Amino acid sequence: MNKSDTHAFVNQLLVYTLVMICFTGSVGLSTVWFRHRISVTANESRKIEASLLEVERRIAETTALIAAEQSPNALEQKNTVMRLGLVRTREAQMVRISESPEQRLASRRNIEIFTEDSVRLAPVNFRVAAASR
Amino acid sequence: MSKGFASNYRIVLLASGVFLGFALVGFRLVQLHVLDRERLVRNVDRVRDSFVVEQARRGDILDARGDVLATSRSLIVLGVDPQALRPEDEAKWPELARLVGLPAAELTRILRTKTRSFEETPAAAPSGPTTLPAITLSQDVDEAAPSGERVIRWTKLSESIEESTYDEILKLGVKGVYGTRSYRRTYPRNGLAAHVIGFVNKENTPASGTEAFADFYLRGQDGWRESEKDGLRRELAQFRTREVRPTDGYSVMLSIDSAVQHMIEAELQAIVAKFNPEKATIIVSDARSGFILGLGNYPNFNLNEFFRAPLESQKNVAITDQLEPGSTFKIVAAAGALEEGLATPGMRFDCSAETTIYKGKSIRLMRDDHEWDHALSVAEIISHSSNRGAALLAMKLGDQKFHDWSRAFGFGEISGFPFGGEIPGQLNRPEKWSGIDITRIPAGYSVAATPMQIHYAMGVIASGGELMRPQIIREIRDSQGEAVYTFGGVARRRVIGEQTASQMAQMLQGVVGPNGTAAKAAIPGYLVAGKTGTAQKIINGRYSNRNHVGSFVGFFPATAPRVVITVIVDDAKVPGGGAGYGSTVAAPSFKHIAEQLISYLDIKPAVPVAGRPLFALEGGRR
Repeated sequence: MNKSDTHAFVNQLLVYTLVMICFTGSVGLSTVWFRHRISVTANESRKIEASLLEVERRIAETTALIAAEQSPNALEQKNTVMRLGLVRTREAQMVRISESPEQRLASRRNIEIFTEDSVRLAPVNFRVAAASR
Repeated sequence: MSKGFASNYRIVLLASGVFLGFALVGFRLVQLHVLDRERLVRNVDRVRDSFVVEQARRGDILDARGDVLATSRSLIVLGVDPQALRPEDEAKWPELARLVGLPAAELTRILRTKTRSFEETPAAAPSGPTTLPAITLSQDVDEAAPSGERVIRWTKLSESIEESTYDEILKLGVKGVYGTRSYRRTYPRNGLAAHVIGFVNKENTPASGTEAFADFYLRGQDGWRESEKDGLRRELAQFRTREVRPTDGYSVMLSIDSAVQHMIEAELQAIVAKFNPEKATIIVSDARSGFILGLGNYPNFNLNEFFRAPLESQKNVAITDQLEPGSTFKIVAAAGALEEGLATPGMRFDCSAETTIYKGKSIRLMRDDHEWDHALSVAEIISHSSNRGAALLAMKLGDQKFHDWSRAFGFGEISGFPFGGEIPGQLNRPEKWSGIDITRIPAGYSVAATPMQIHYAMGVIASGGELMRPQIIREIRDSQGEAVYTFGGVARRRVIGEQTASQMAQMLQGVVGPNGTAAKAAIPGYLVAGKTGTAQKIINGRYSNRNHVGSFVGFFPATAPRVVITVIVDDAKVPGGGAGYGSTVAAPSFKHIAEQLISYLDIKPAVPVAGRPLFALEGGRR
């Protein structure tokens, strides 16, 4: 093994040079790779933005279509075409009650259940069990 | 380290390799920067900075229930480069014609036209109901051909292709057919509330109505970004340097209710079908807050085809046209006299005399439609609509005070309706009055008012004495739907006290009573207050006996008003040749709208209407 100072220095220089080249190359490659990834990510982000815009456009279009379909004129036309026969309620058809409608219906139901007539209309049947031997 | 590795031979070899490598890099640099410079610089020039504006989405206009009245949607302007068409795609042309909405022969003609002469006017794309007239083709879409003709590089096929249709067109795969997207304003309900909503024109400039007035809220703020693009003009997203996101516009919620508006416009159509008037206006507002629930005019126009509508039909005549209010103006003299304590509802006036003494002079009164065999009370003056009675009440006030009361009710000044070119009407100062004006103005002649002024003058009585500001915008919402600002009712001033308003409301109920002038406006079970108006029109400088402006302004329930309704019909042609009295042409429409509003707004009657127990009331069981 050559252990003179000159050769040792040259060896070290070579090693350092190679290490430096490798390091620089690695940094360079990393930079390129990072840039590539940035580019890929940016393009993906752009595509997602574009698809979001696309969705927004579709939503806007659908909103406009729904609004058009819900317009009073369109609904009236459907009522005619589909022969639904829907008409506006007239005041004469309405009876306004100030009390709670739920309570009113419940009390009416209860009256029906507990009145004497109701009891008579719903007779209770007793089944007699046959004795077995 | 081994001796072999460090030998001179290997060192020289490695050093040579390294230097050779550097030499190659150096040579490449020289090649790039010197030898190929010109070519590369040309390429670099194509890769330029890119400044892209991102359009903000314009906010929607909503009705009081949140239904969309105006919105923005993307539509595709579809065109074709006739030079890029392939023969093998010709079989697809009929399907393309169907999707575009053009006759197949027309499309074929467009696609086969590949050049045009210099003098030739660019061919206009056919315009159907949903397409606009073609834009003028500019020189940058044509190229000069050696034959002296221009080579067509782009011809428009349609300006309003929907996204879903465009997808189908792309699926067809006809080379040379392509489109560009743009956000376009669309009005899903066509002509509904057209004069209130307004429109955005083809240059994307808001031209009228809420669109123009609330543009500050609606338009949003465009965003932008700086980046670079490649030779194919594609953005290099990784080189984005600055980016400002667009801020979408706010949505504007109106006080207009689509259902009420539809009732109004259906009623206007019925009026037009029956009376063929020159103009007609119906206004419905909330009695307490003054918010407008619906406003319709005839003539009207379709917002999606504003470019086809004559300018006359685009006017909101409720605020831009003035007319003599006729008898609806009589509420001013009566309310003024009551408020001043110069009269009471039961005070009687002799309305049979043709003349009276005013300021020491004998003055002739206007003629009444009926002869009175007794002195009329103030309530009867209102319910029978006596011109003489109204004049006598005004004379009790005097010129100046009567003028001031008229101003207090909002006549002669703009009402504050936010847009549309409102006019103040005409109410001269007493110094300019002629000797007989004190007999004519109280009856609604020699004074001009807009339908909006007439409506809000009646609103004074309905609101309990306050003159409300006509308001149309109820709320501003951000793009997430959250309320940013909410508007409330605004009273311009208190005109009369609540007691006087109550007395007036009671007297106005007599108008729809059996002996009143508008029995046709009565609604069973409800207390309706209102006033008819019939004014002769001035034709060729003279009052015409055949041309009238008939009106009815009223509110209900009279004891706790919910809505104020105004119906004004200008120059109605009554079948059979009768005069277009307010009681004939306007009062029935008032009743019809009011009956619909009763169920829609759940307005409770003073007395129950149904005469028998209903099935539902019995719990739905029998």
